[in-house]
Amino acid sequence: MGYAAARGGLDAIAAAEDLVRDARDLADSPWLGLDQLIDRQRLAVDRVMGEGGLWDPRLAARALQQAEGDTVEASHLLRSYRATLPRFSYSHPVDMDDAKVLRRIVPAFRNPPGPQLLGRTTDYTGRLLDRTDDDLARERAEKRVMESTFDADGDVVSNATDTAGSASSASVGLGDRRHRRLLEVLRDMDLLVDRRRTDDPKPVDITRAAVRPPALRSAVLATMARAETGALVNLWYRNILGPDGYIHEVTLGEVRHAELPVTVTHPHTGGPVDIGVVRATEVEAIEDLDGADEDRTRFDAGYGLCFGHNEKKAIAMANLDIACHRDGGGGNGGSELEQSILMTTDGLDASGFLEHLKLPHYVTFRSMVDRKMAMRAAGRSDTAVDGAPVPADPREGDCA
Amino acid sequence: MAVRELAEHCLRLLGEPVIVTPPETGIVMMQVREPIVRERFHLGEVVVTRADVELAGHRGWSIRQGTDRVATLAAAICDAAAQSGGEIAADVERLCAETARSIERSEADLATTLRPTIVEFEELD
Repeated sequence: MGYAAARGGLDAIAAAEDLVRDARDLADSPWLGLDQLIDRQRLAVDRVMGEGGLWDPRLAARALQQAEGDTVEASHLLRSYRATLPRFSYSHPVDMDDAKVLRRIVPAFRNPPGPQLLGRTTDYTGRLLDRTDDDLARERAEKRVMESTFDADGDVVSNATDTAGSASSASVGLGDRRHRRLLEVLRDMDLLVDRRRTDDPKPVDITRAAVRPPALRSAVLATMARAETGALVNLWYRNILGPDGYIHEVTLGEVRHAELPVTVTHPHTGGPVDIGVVRATEVEAIEDLDGADEDRTRFDAGYGLCFGHNEKKAIAMANLDIACHRDGGGGNGGSELEQSILMTTDGLDASGFLEHLKLPHYVTFRSMVDRKMAMRAAGRSDTAVDGAPVPADPREGDCA
Repeated sequence: MAVRELAEHCLRLLGEPVIVTPPETGIVMMQVREPIVRERFHLGEVVVTRADVELAGHRGWSIRQGTDRVATLAAAICDAAAQSGGEIAADVERLCAETARSIERSEADLATTLRPTIVEFEELD
C-alpha cells in the first residue's frame, strides 16, 4: 500500500493507549487471569487460536486479555507473535481416524458405528439468560459433581473403562474414543463418490505466500481453517440460501470435537515422538448430488477442521469445501466461490482494511473535494471528470 | 518427583551439562490428512520449546508444547541421564512411568464424565 503517513500527535497517541491499559489493568474488579480465561472463556480462547492459526491456549488467553475481549484483535496479536518465531519442523500428518473424540454426533444416521456422544454442549438447552447467583451456581455444580462421583452409600462410582458394544447409558460404549466414520458406512453401501487420491501432493503453505485463485484444495482448506468464524458463516449462509445461484442440500455426517496427537521426528534417532495433543473440531458434510454431469446415484462430502471447539466454523467450512468442489474450485480450475473464500474470509485482512479507514485520510479526501469543486465549476456535477486518477483497487490508494 | 527436581538430581550426580542448543521457542506446522480425498493440508501451527544438551557424554533432547524453557531444559537433561544407565536412568524411567499412569487416570476420569452423555435419540413415527 502506498501510505503517506500522517506525522505528529505522539503524545496524544501515547495518552490514548494509556487510557486503554489503565482502564484494563487498574479496574476495581478482580483481575481476570489467564487461567480464568482458559477455564471459563474456553470458546473465546479456542476461537482466537483458530483464527490466529496458532495453538497455545496461554498465549491466546494473554492476547484476549490484552485485546479487551476482541477476538479478531487477539488473533492479530497472536499472528504477530507467531511471526517472531522460527519454524522448527512439520508434524507427522495426523490421520484423522487417530483423533480421540470428546464429542461426536452424527445427524445423518441414528445408529452410526460408535456412539452418539453429546459431550460438552448446550445444543439442546433453551437459550435463556441464567441469572443464578454465582455462589449458588458454584454450590449446585459441586453437588452435581459429588453425586456423579459417589453413590447413595458414599461409595465411589465405578469408572471402569467400557468397550464398544458393552452396555452403558446407551447400547454403544466409548471404547478408546476412536470411532469408525459414517463415510465408511456410505462407502460400504457404495453410496459415496470415491475421490480418494493415491498420490500424496505436498500441501500448500499459506503462511509463506499469499494464496490467489485458482488454488489447490489444500490451500483452500488451510485458508478456511484459520478464517474468521463470522466471515465463513456469512459466506456459507449466502451460499446455502442461493442468491449467488447455488442451492445445496447438505446433511451433516460427522460433527466431532476431538484430541489430535502432535508427532514430530526425533533429531537424533529419526523416530516419531508424540509431544502432546491439540483439540480441533471436525465436520463432514454430505451433499446430495443433483447436477446434470454428476453421479446422482451417490453422495459427495465436504470437510471442515479447525483448531479448538468451534462447530459453527467447521460446519461452514465443510459445506463450503464441497460447494467449492462442485463449483469448480479447489484445484478444479477456480470459481467465484473459491475466490471469495481465499480473498474475503481472513479476519486480519478484512478487519485490517476496515480499521485503516480510521487513519487520517486528509490528502485523499481533499483530492475528492477538489474534484467535486472542479466538476461544479465545469457544470458537470453528476459525472466523473475524464482522466481523474481513480485507483483500480481501493486498497491500493494512499492514506494521508 | 517432577521433571525439574529430577533434572537437578541428575546434575548433582552427573555434573554440569553442555548446552548444545539452549531452550528455544518456535513453531511446528501441524499437518493433517483428511478422510474424504485422503489429502494433506495444514491445520495451523503449534507453539513448542526445544533444547539439546550433552551430559556425561550422552546427548539429550527435548521438545514440549508451550513456552516453558526451564521444563524443556530439564527434560533434555533427564533424556541424557536416562542413557547413562544405573540408578539415575531408573529414576527417569520411574518418572516416565508415573507420567504415563497419570495420563491413563486422566483418560479414565474423562471417560467417566463423557459416558453419561451418550445418547440414543428415538425416531418419531
